[in-house]
Amino acid sequence: MGAWKGENELETKVKSKALQEFQVATETIVNPELKKWIDQGGKVMGYFCSYGPEEVITAAGVLPMRVRATGSTSTELADAYLSSINCSFCRHALNAGLSGDYNFLEGVVWLNNCDHVRRIYDNWWRKIDTPLAHMMSLPKTSTDLQVDWFHDELVNFKEALEKHLGIEITNEKLREAIKVHNETRRLLRQLYELRKRDNPPITGAEALAVVVASTAMPREQFNQMLKELLDELGDADGITDYRVRLMLVGSILDDPNYVKVIEDMGGLVVTDSLCFGTRIFWADVDEQGDDPLQALAKYYIQDKQACPRMFDRQPSRSKFIQDMVKEFKVDGVIGLRVVYCDLYTGELFMLDKDLKTAKIPLIRLDREYAVVGAGQLRTRAQAFVESIGGRR
Amino acid sequence: MSRVPKQSEKAIQLYKDDTAYMQMLYDALALDESEEAEINRAVIQAVMDRSNAVLQCIERDEPFIASWYPYSAEFLTAMDVTWWMFAQTAFLGIETPHVLEDIDGGERLLGSDFCTVLRLLLYYVEADVSPKPSALVALLHPCDGTTIVHQAIKHGKWADVPIFGADPPYWEDERAIEYYATEMRRLVDFVSEITGKKLDIDRLREVCEQSNKIYALWQEYNDLRRAVPCPHDWTIGPPQAFAMTTYYHVGKPEGEEWFKKLVANAEKRVNAGVSGVTGGERIRVLWFDILPLLWQWDIQPWMESEWGINIVMNMFGYTPFTPIDTKNEKTMFHDMAKRSLNDFPMVRQARGVADNFLSDIERIVKDYKIDCVIWPGHMGHKDGAASIGMMREKCREIGVPFLHIGLDLFDKRYTTPDEVKDQLNRFFSSHRLG
Repeated sequence: MGAWKGENELETKVKSKALQEFQVATETIVNPELKKWIDQGGKVMGYFCSYGPEEVITAAGVLPMRVRATGSTSTELADAYLSSINCSFCRHALNAGLSGDYNFLEGVVWLNNCDHVRRIYDNWWRKIDTPLAHMMSLPKTSTDLQVDWFHDELVNFKEALEKHLGIEITNEKLREAIKVHNETRRLLRQLYELRKRDNPPITGAEALAVVVASTAMPREQFNQMLKELLDELGDADGITDYRVRLMLVGSILDDPNYVKVIEDMGGLVVTDSLCFGTRIFWADVDEQGDDPLQALAKYYIQDKQACPRMFDRQPSRSKFIQDMVKEFKVDGVIGLRVVYCDLYTGELFMLDKDLKTAKIPLIRLDREYAVVGAGQLRTRAQAFVESIGGRR
Repeated sequence: MSRVPKQSEKAIQLYKDDTAYMQMLYDALALDESEEAEINRAVIQAVMDRSNAVLQCIERDEPFIASWYPYSAEFLTAMDVTWWMFAQTAFLGIETPHVLEDIDGGERLLGSDFCTVLRLLLYYVEADVSPKPSALVALLHPCDGTTIVHQAIKHGKWADVPIFGADPPYWEDERAIEYYATEMRRLVDFVSEITGKKLDIDRLREVCEQSNKIYALWQEYNDLRRAVPCPHDWTIGPPQAFAMTTYYHVGKPEGEEWFKKLVANAEKRVNAGVSGVTGGERIRVLWFDILPLLWQWDIQPWMESEWGINIVMNMFGYTPFTPIDTKNEKTMFHDMAKRSLNDFPMVRQARGVADNFLSDIERIVKDYKIDCVIWPGHMGHKDGAASIGMMREKCREIGVPFLHIGLDLFDKRYTTPDEVKDQLNRFFSSHRLG
């Protein structure tokens, strides 16, 4: 790492068309590639959580898209149905639905992932005319009993899709979809491997754009573009003018500009435990088993990095973060909580203790879904970077 | 090896102090010779008896557990296991001298927008001022707060306390009930392993049959509350009935005796046309949540005297409970699971999809001749907060005014009693109620 010269803009040295397209994909809800898909008669289905079974949607020939509220500046429509103690993501997302931003969706699938988002389902199907609105029951513990329960939920979802679309989703199609999504996961892990370098060739903001794009584009096309980006980054010069290496931990963060504010203070984000991050690609779905839905159930309940809602997984979540700190040579962790998120209130309370024991610096930042208070973020990020930088 | 963890002295002392505080209230109530006071004294006695049972377990080195009301506790009664409701301090509805300081202590751990009741739980554990049970039965619904706070408790000072949380499905159909029945069997195995006590199915049948009688009496009592005027006000009835049925006297003859007295008293008052509200009942309210338990004396007497309000029903007094079929072990576990998932207040409304919020409002408004619905908007109830639009529209559809306040049911500093009164004044005036 080189000498940091005060506030500056970190960015990759590579001029990559693929990366530019990924970045564009994060700036709107209907990005150019998604628009092409829709214009060609392709159907799109939204999902709301890192537990959204996107493989089943892909197997149905439908494009899975993680619902965001990119570009939303107001919640005035949603505020008629929600309260001020509901999280800003939930309010912006419902507002986007009520505004008609998601009228192109053929369907949306929810899970009872948190108290805020699960109620978007109740409001959505009552107020928004999306052809298919489907809710799934996601367990909160992770024994084999819960895997079996979630398997049956996946069967129900598959059957709902089949009935709605008038198609059959065969095991073969499911296996193909799992392969495609595993390929995405493998490629994203390759991207993160590059970030382990002393001088990573890509910033945290740029990497976030790549992950967000993975949830909003035709998947095979995304995989091809990511391969191109990986080729371009492979031998590229790395970023040197940063001061410390950071890890982000939290729930929904889909705006690279938020990360950029932190990085402009000299803290290069090199890894994360986010639901637009490692939580969706650090493990693979088994491709060998007889029942692809059982493999998916096992992946979502037992194998993927768990969300704090999973009651029996806190030790593994904490260990994952501490392992990542070592592997990516992280100097400090930023714990992000969307205001009013009870799950991350508790999660960061526990993580704070664990990281103190491990002598890993942690700062907790409350945030709203839309980037607001950038000045305050800049101040706190700068103070954190300086406090860690002084210890190096 | 001891089955009871080592206790902190201050925890035992605080528990004893709180019990002494209850005794003081009991003695004060003894000055009132009315039947209603006697009925309420029996509830306080039940609270003290339970606290003393926990203390006795500690003294005798006998296992006891912390659990929650939405686990149909008939199996615990049948196993003769001493347990206490983990959120008892907040749910008692008594502003003990230390509670505001405790809430501040909880805020230092979990901030200010996390449910106050759950903050208190973690504070009591972290501050070593809660008895340490032989095991903790965690509640994983109806909200995110319960799911995460039990993890935090296990993560901290109670790391050595065995913990079990049954996984709650989001649905309430047969598949969900069967699934939860399996979870409840796992829970019984867990409790059995901790306590060394086995579940005898014949004893469970006796307890369930007794429990069914109690729930039937509760329903009978609620039917009497439909009368105009309602025979009791907020000081007697729903909260006590809830506590006696689901916690203090689950499936016990004492519960049946208590309910018989409550029903007899209400019946007498209905027959005589006596209103529960001194000065007459002018507005019949559905308060659709817990009552503001730690500051109810700041608001409810004012509601009665100023507006003639009777909180005829609240969320915790509503009992759509279905009896437990005692035919065999399978039917009993099935129906305990059903009760745990679909019947217990708050879990019933908040755990799954929002439909029960709306159907319960409609049912209660019709059955209890409700003039207006108040959703207090407790700061911890995030899912309910996301249901206010649906509740408002349901109330509009059935032609009854709806008010969403926005407060903390356990901390009057969040929205002060004066602010609440101001909102209520404007609401009742604008709707020309009372």
